[in-house]
Amino acid sequence: MADVSLRGVRKSYGSLEVVHGVDLEIASGEFVVFVGPSGCGKSTLLRMIAGLEPISGGDISIGGKVVNDIPSPERGIAMVFQSYALYPHMSVYDNMAFGLKLAKTPKAEVDQRVREAARILQIEDYLDRMPKALSGGQRQRVAIGRAIVRNPRVFLFDEPLSNLDASLRAQTRIEIAKLHDTLDATMIYVTHDQVEAMTLADRIVVLNAGNIEQVGTPLELYSNPVNTFVAGFIASQRMNFLPVSPSVNHLTLPGNRLLTLSTTNLETVRTLGVRPEHLELATDASTAHLSGILSVIEQFGEYALAYVELPDGQLVTIKLDGAPDLTLHDTVHITIPPGVVHLFDDAGRALR
Amino acid sequence: MKNQANPWLTSNLLVLGLGMLPAAVLIGALLYFTAWAFAFSFTDLALVGKKSVEWSWVGLQNFERLFTRKGFLESLWTTVIFVFFSAIVGQSVLGFLLAALLRGTQSTLRSVVEVCIMLGWLLPDIVAAFLWSATTNQTGLINAIFVVPFGFKPINFINEYALPIVTIANIWKGTAWSYLLFSAALDSVSREVVEAAKVDGATPFQRIWLVQLPIIRPHIATNMLFITIWTFTYFPLIYAMTGGGPGTQTQTLAVFLYNQSFSRGNLGFGSAISVAMLVIVGLLSLVYLRMLREPK
Repeated sequence: MADVSLRGVRKSYGSLEVVHGVDLEIASGEFVVFVGPSGCGKSTLLRMIAGLEPISGGDISIGGKVVNDIPSPERGIAMVFQSYALYPHMSVYDNMAFGLKLAKTPKAEVDQRVREAARILQIEDYLDRMPKALSGGQRQRVAIGRAIVRNPRVFLFDEPLSNLDASLRAQTRIEIAKLHDTLDATMIYVTHDQVEAMTLADRIVVLNAGNIEQVGTPLELYSNPVNTFVAGFIASQRMNFLPVSPSVNHLTLPGNRLLTLSTTNLETVRTLGVRPEHLELATDASTAHLSGILSVIEQFGEYALAYVELPDGQLVTIKLDGAPDLTLHDTVHITIPPGVVHLFDDAGRALR
Repeated sequence: MKNQANPWLTSNLLVLGLGMLPAAVLIGALLYFTAWAFAFSFTDLALVGKKSVEWSWVGLQNFERLFTRKGFLESLWTTVIFVFFSAIVGQSVLGFLLAALLRGTQSTLRSVVEVCIMLGWLLPDIVAAFLWSATTNQTGLINAIFVVPFGFKPINFINEYALPIVTIANIWKGTAWSYLLFSAALDSVSREVVEAAKVDGATPFQRIWLVQLPIIRPHIATNMLFITIWTFTYFPLIYAMTGGGPGTQTQTLAVFLYNQSFSRGNLGFGSAISVAMLVIVGLLSLVYLRMLREPK
């Protein structure tokens, strides 16, 4: 268990800079998730912490010690790769024991640690099998087991679940959460999946184009996103963004109806953000803020997503509880409850 | 297994026959030539003279001669040395080392090395043979640069170290194939697996020896199979450089076969040599094919 600290960390490939000076403090025992779209630099950042990628600028310290020039095996880290990266010519046991054998660990200790990890991950029955005789989920467990036996101070996960099917992904997600609880180790986890980020993280780091957009607990990011990027990225249904024209104490919505807010200083507001789960249906047009045609409805049983096309062509998503009885192509009226809206200026920054 | 042939094809014997014709002709030709060599290895057929027309069956006499007369066993030994040092040690190991070392470097060095070893491969055998004998003879480049300026007497390398010189020439000529095959094989090893080994604490040498080499083992076996067969039967470079000499120092089986069949005109004995070569190469192939099998 150790804290990890990034100070002004940069990465360039030739003249192209892909990570632009990242500052981040990760506490000992914390579960931090790096999330962002592909190409945002999250894997590069992880690989720099792992020592697989040289650092172009800044410092990375693990346990208070700068590790910039320390090779991977001596950093006290273990990494779980997206493709599992098992050694195809070694049995499950040998895969897990490889690192310990290279470190000349006594045979009895290797055996004890491999069996202990196998017990935690419930793969004791597969120890003699070759990786190709395992299913995707089993391979993932072996990959995690290989990390556990190293007894690292920091676990690094690089999109470990993206090669698994949906149900297995959900199951493995829970197991990783349990594992973090059991091992009490610092874990850094990279994903592009915001559900994994929300459910696993103590703190989420949202990255975009090589910069940190926001760092916070999942609920902080959900309730107080600092900009449209974070607002749009976090939560399972994407936030609706509506262009508005502001005046002193109200906003003019698409369709020319007014939304009055208690907040003052609305002059700089350009975009109104509201989550699908916060919108409500209205019975008639007079009390509604928005009206449009129901163009698609997705029924999930416990809830439904209705996609309403406004006159200007924009789609607004509403999440409705249960199985609402709506007819396609009917006109739908929507109210925006005050207090749930997010306001953004012309640069996409949140206004408080 | 499901029959995947087109139903229209299988229902029409004439079309089926026509479709098979090219393959049948090819297989027939291959069998014909092998059978010819096999059959005539039991005769005293000669290239010219009376016995070229009135040949007769001599039973196993040619095969007895392989072991009782000077020539065959010596040539076999020369061939084994030639194959071992030029193909297995030289081309294969050098090709692998080059592939492993140059991998991941995108430098000009890599391009230069690649072009150089490709040049050896692309140059016609006869041209290469001329170049090598011209370079290594008494008045050649090596003497002119490395020997004479230091006050030593010029050495006729091609004459005094004939087998090492043809071995080196063949390494130079054939390394490109192994290099290309191993480069492709190493590219097929997942980058993440190598990185996992790095995180596990493997040194660069351990990453190659304990991880990459075992993973590409089937490719190594395939490469060994190809280059052993090719080198075992390789003829033009050696023949053009030395003609098998001086004496019989560089007389590999292919050169021995040529000399017996076409210089001495003993086609029957030559056929017996070729049958023996076929058997030896066949046995070697079996060994390699076993290596190709995946471990349980």
